[in-house]
Amino acid sequence: MRDNHASSFRVRQSPTISDTVQRIDQLNFSFQLFPAIASYLHHFRSCTLLGKVLGADLTHFLTPDCSVALHYLEVLELPQLHGVLFTHTAYQHVQHKSRRLYQRLRRLLNSPRSDCVLFANEFQLGAYVDRQPSEDLVAWQARSVYHAAVWYYNHLSKIIPVVMVTVDSAVVEKYGSATEGVYVVPFQAYLESFWPDVPEASEFLVSLHQALTAKEVESCRGSKREFAEHLPVDVLEAGIRAGLYIKGTLSMNKHKAHVEAFVRQPGLLSKDTDDVLVLGIKNRNRAIQGDVVAVELLPRTEWQGRSLTLGDVGRDDCPQEESHGEPMPTGRVVGIVQRNWRDYVAILPPPEEGPTQGRQAQRLLAVPWDFRIPKIRIATTQAAMLQDVRIVVRIDSWDSGSQYPNGHFVRALGKAGEIETEVAAILIEWGISVLPFSEAQLREMPTDSPTSPWALDPKEVARRRDLRLSHLIFSIDPQGCEDVDDALSIVQCDGLDSTIEMGVHIADVTKFVPPGGPTDLEALPPHTTSADRRFDMLPPVLSSNLCSLRSGEDRYAVSVLWQLDKETYEVKDVWFGRTVIRSTYKLSYETAQAVIDGGHIEIATEIPELSGTEDEQQARLGELRDVLNILTDVARAWLCRRTAKGGLQLEGSEVRVEFDGVPGTVSGLTPKKALEVHETVAECMIGANAWVAQHLCKSLLGCTLLRRHPSPRPELFGPLCNAAESQGFHIDISSNKALSDSLEKTKDHGEPLLSRILRMLATQAMSNALYCSSVSVPQHDLKHYGLALPLYTHFTSPIRRYADILVHRQLLAVLAAENGDFEDPEVMLSSTSLEEICQHLNERTRAAQKAQKDSVELFQCLFFRDVNPGIEESSTDHRVADALVFAIRANGVLVFVPRFALRGAIFLKDKEGRVARLMADGRCDFSHGSLIHKKHEIVSQPSDGQPFVLHLFDHVTVSFIALHTTWRQMAVPLHYIFHAIIAFLICSIFTTTWADLKYL
Amino acid sequence: MAGVELLSDQGYRVDGRRASELRRVQCRLGVLGQADGSALLQLGNTRALAVVSGPHEIRGSKSKALHDRAVVNCQYSMATFSTAERKRRPHGDRKSIEMSLHLRQTFETAILTQLFPRSQIDIFVQILKSDGGNYCVCVNAATMALVDAGIPLQDYVCACSVGFVDETPLVDVCYAEEAAGGPVMAVALLPRSEQVAFLSLDSRLHEDHLSGVMKAATVACRDLHAVLSRIVKETLQEATAGE
Repeated sequence: MRDNHASSFRVRQSPTISDTVQRIDQLNFSFQLFPAIASYLHHFRSCTLLGKVLGADLTHFLTPDCSVALHYLEVLELPQLHGVLFTHTAYQHVQHKSRRLYQRLRRLLNSPRSDCVLFANEFQLGAYVDRQPSEDLVAWQARSVYHAAVWYYNHLSKIIPVVMVTVDSAVVEKYGSATEGVYVVPFQAYLESFWPDVPEASEFLVSLHQALTAKEVESCRGSKREFAEHLPVDVLEAGIRAGLYIKGTLSMNKHKAHVEAFVRQPGLLSKDTDDVLVLGIKNRNRAIQGDVVAVELLPRTEWQGRSLTLGDVGRDDCPQEESHGEPMPTGRVVGIVQRNWRDYVAILPPPEEGPTQGRQAQRLLAVPWDFRIPKIRIATTQAAMLQDVRIVVRIDSWDSGSQYPNGHFVRALGKAGEIETEVAAILIEWGISVLPFSEAQLREMPTDSPTSPWALDPKEVARRRDLRLSHLIFSIDPQGCEDVDDALSIVQCDGLDSTIEMGVHIADVTKFVPPGGPTDLEALPPHTTSADRRFDMLPPVLSSNLCSLRSGEDRYAVSVLWQLDKETYEVKDVWFGRTVIRSTYKLSYETAQAVIDGGHIEIATEIPELSGTEDEQQARLGELRDVLNILTDVARAWLCRRTAKGGLQLEGSEVRVEFDGVPGTVSGLTPKKALEVHETVAECMIGANAWVAQHLCKSLLGCTLLRRHPSPRPELFGPLCNAAESQGFHIDISSNKALSDSLEKTKDHGEPLLSRILRMLATQAMSNALYCSSVSVPQHDLKHYGLALPLYTHFTSPIRRYADILVHRQLLAVLAAENGDFEDPEVMLSSTSLEEICQHLNERTRAAQKAQKDSVELFQCLFFRDVNPGIEESSTDHRVADALVFAIRANGVLVFVPRFALRGAIFLKDKEGRVARLMADGRCDFSHGSLIHKKHEIVSQPSDGQPFVLHLFDHVTVSFIALHTTWRQMAVPLHYIFHAIIAFLICSIFTTTWADLKYL
Repeated sequence: MAGVELLSDQGYRVDGRRASELRRVQCRLGVLGQADGSALLQLGNTRALAVVSGPHEIRGSKSKALHDRAVVNCQYSMATFSTAERKRRPHGDRKSIEMSLHLRQTFETAILTQLFPRSQIDIFVQILKSDGGNYCVCVNAATMALVDAGIPLQDYVCACSVGFVDETPLVDVCYAEEAAGGPVMAVALLPRSEQVAFLSLDSRLHEDHLSGVMKAATVACRDLHAVLSRIVKETLQEATAGE
């Protein structure tokens, strides 16, 4: 009792409104509440303070009450809804109730695109209402939100009505008609009447509502525990500090998602040794791929090894004997430090398989696209409509009493199997959001239309070096490329010290993208390409026009000009700076190569810039050929020098996907053909990047954005060394030089593919290159292992990569500083913020790469589906191709198909434990027997047939069938096993490809 | 970090202030008739009563007397009801002793002690309500009491605490912000000469941020000075008008 007085004022002391008001009287230093609020509205644009302006076409403000903000936040997130005004009361309610939702709300409010603003009503004299004695919290919150809405309406001179939405009918009754211009409506009714053209909003609302009620039912039922309870946060934190638990990120084994997961400790690089193995669902204790968890180690006697068997996406939990590696630390999850739930693409099972057909028929288990994610229980009434449709679901919770997490349906993507759907699915899975460019971004852009053409600014030209007349500049890009960000030039100087001036000219994107502007902020996530489309980082007016170095047009550029020795091509001097250029030729790789190879006048038709009489054409073509020849020579010399230092030439298996115009079908898959001119251009760009990196690091203006490529971990070279050994080669991995040399030796082998496959294996062993800040990593770790350069950065693709924009800014700041001009120190970021940006860039780049890889696989599958229309009927029309065995596993082999640049696994042992048997006609089937796995070969010994042996680098013939499975986690249907004799599986998006196998 | 967000994305602190805003200052001089000088000062919800007596002869042992200047004797205490948890705080507790020492150091520099050799000036400060920034409120209250007592000072002594959250200095931290455990710097300043009379820093602060925090503290102290001197002028005007 005694504490009553004291504690009551403690509660009141924080946001006392009297303080706020009288503070204005007494100390009117920086009180900016009023203009800050007004700025949200279009009409008050003059006083933009927080940078957010609601659209001019706004008809009303939407004010959600506390429970709407908490439970239906995701509906409010829809970009179609405009003018959402969150009150501070609701904001704090969300903060109090759920940290995850609170972060979501914060992101929403901070995002420059969303039309959502926060009104700090509890800090505002007129809008604040005191809680009455004996008034319950919910009633006060409703009153507070309503009062804020009324105040806001009056504050905006009653121009725009304010709509408060709620799910509580009592609130509607109480306040519904209290003030004119402020409406209180139920959320459902609001969506139906105000947004009739956005049906997904109300559907979403219903889905969320169902998830909520389902959860309540669940909690009432109180079923038995499936999992151990998680430990509370403070116990976890103390335990982690004390070393009892290990904190790390959970990642599932891709091939054994149901059994095996690893916990990787942050900061520890060596992937294999310090991982903690988590076996089984019980031990994983509701942790999901990507969550940060705390694990407790099991006693040493219970440690197990990682599985070495070839995994199959389709077949899980095979009860057969498995081979395991060395026992490693094994543990169980005791608590979750941070959930990393995201949006999951999933598909609903066919109704007859629905496992929960009891009391609640509409509660279904959605099967995620990513097989590492457990099935998600959702409640929906639209199950029938959503058959064979890819949907997006979100996880809400996972109670210890439930075998599967609870989630809700967000939206439908489209029919499974269609290109649009599948591409959208890939993007969502990798967290890449592709949004149209916002109005603010487009406003920031310069205009270039027929009526008001864009032109160079004479003042700007005066500040720059003008290369338009003095230099012959040309660009070499893929056919049909629109965003040309680099161009090259060669000038022969016939002075005393006869040198060659070589130039790399990069589009000056920073001229148009001021730091901190809307375009700059939105550009952070990197640009992605899918095989059939491109997602631009910059608005098209920049990416394919003003920043694209098109031929015959004046463009701003940032140039690197080297003075080269005429004989040795050593760099004698280098110049960096802003320039104005006009490209003369826009060549494609193919034409450039043709010119170099000595093609004659017929090439002239391929180059539209070569117009005029035949003689003129001839002369100009000759000039171009000379220049290209010099360029090739220089690049060869540089490459040679770099290779001598240990630069690696690695092999990626890239394919080009061809389309024949019919939407949704793929007409061909061809491995990308490498021309010498590809290498030439790449070498020039590598040179430019390396020189820029050097120059940036020389200057002492703070930290620099660099790209480093760490040395690979030796233990990952196992498959490479093993494969090379089988052919009698020794691979020395002690340094990049040694590796490069020993790979070079394998070229002499009779098998031409050997070297290519070994290079491919070497590529697999490499770690990823990373962006980093020059001060956050020790000097010797800044090196680029693959390119054998001490310093490297990304400078040459500012249209496509955000890192390049940053590097451009840094370079320009350094150059300005060299001229004694420190006008813009802002661009030299502090080391912590640069480090953050680097982390973000690394993550996003990785996601973009993965998405790109997935999309290539998608198109491969589509290709095999389209060339095999009749898979149901017979197995005779499979596409057949030659393949090479490149790795041996316990129950199968991995093969590489050069024709399609495909890699895949062939199982020699099927689900029932039967092994492959060679038949008289060269085909295979499965029968009982055993499999002997050796280092360089695998022997299949069927009980009733001849044993056969597969060696490393044996040629086999494989055939493909696209298996049309709509959902990823489905087990392989048995009837296909009769068709396909030995399975060949492409790890695919929605199709599994099988092959049969014949020996040559 | 679990816990409240001290600075929201919109730039509001937990009590609705912006980063550079002070709490409301209220002050009354001469609240106790029997003392030589007294002041009741409230900064937001932190309230302190300061009483000054002296200069007078040394009380107790004469050996403490200094031949060239006055002895400044400070005593700091907290009322039992000043915090949410009611707690008896005997005078001897360590925190109070430390705070008394800090106050003495601060005022020995500010008071023109050399004018009163062999005498003693007593400053008693009690916190009546505690909501962060106790030291600073005590210094400000004591300054006002000294002014009320008519004891010659070099300048007003204005003190302000500054916290540091999300790369932003937060001026005049309240209890919730103090309790979060971030760095808190308390600065007592003689505003006109910008001499630092006292400076303390709890918890660690990176050197790079020091100048920014100091600057924020200086500005805050000058703002406080403006308020305090206005209050003194107003009080004097009222007093003279009444006569």
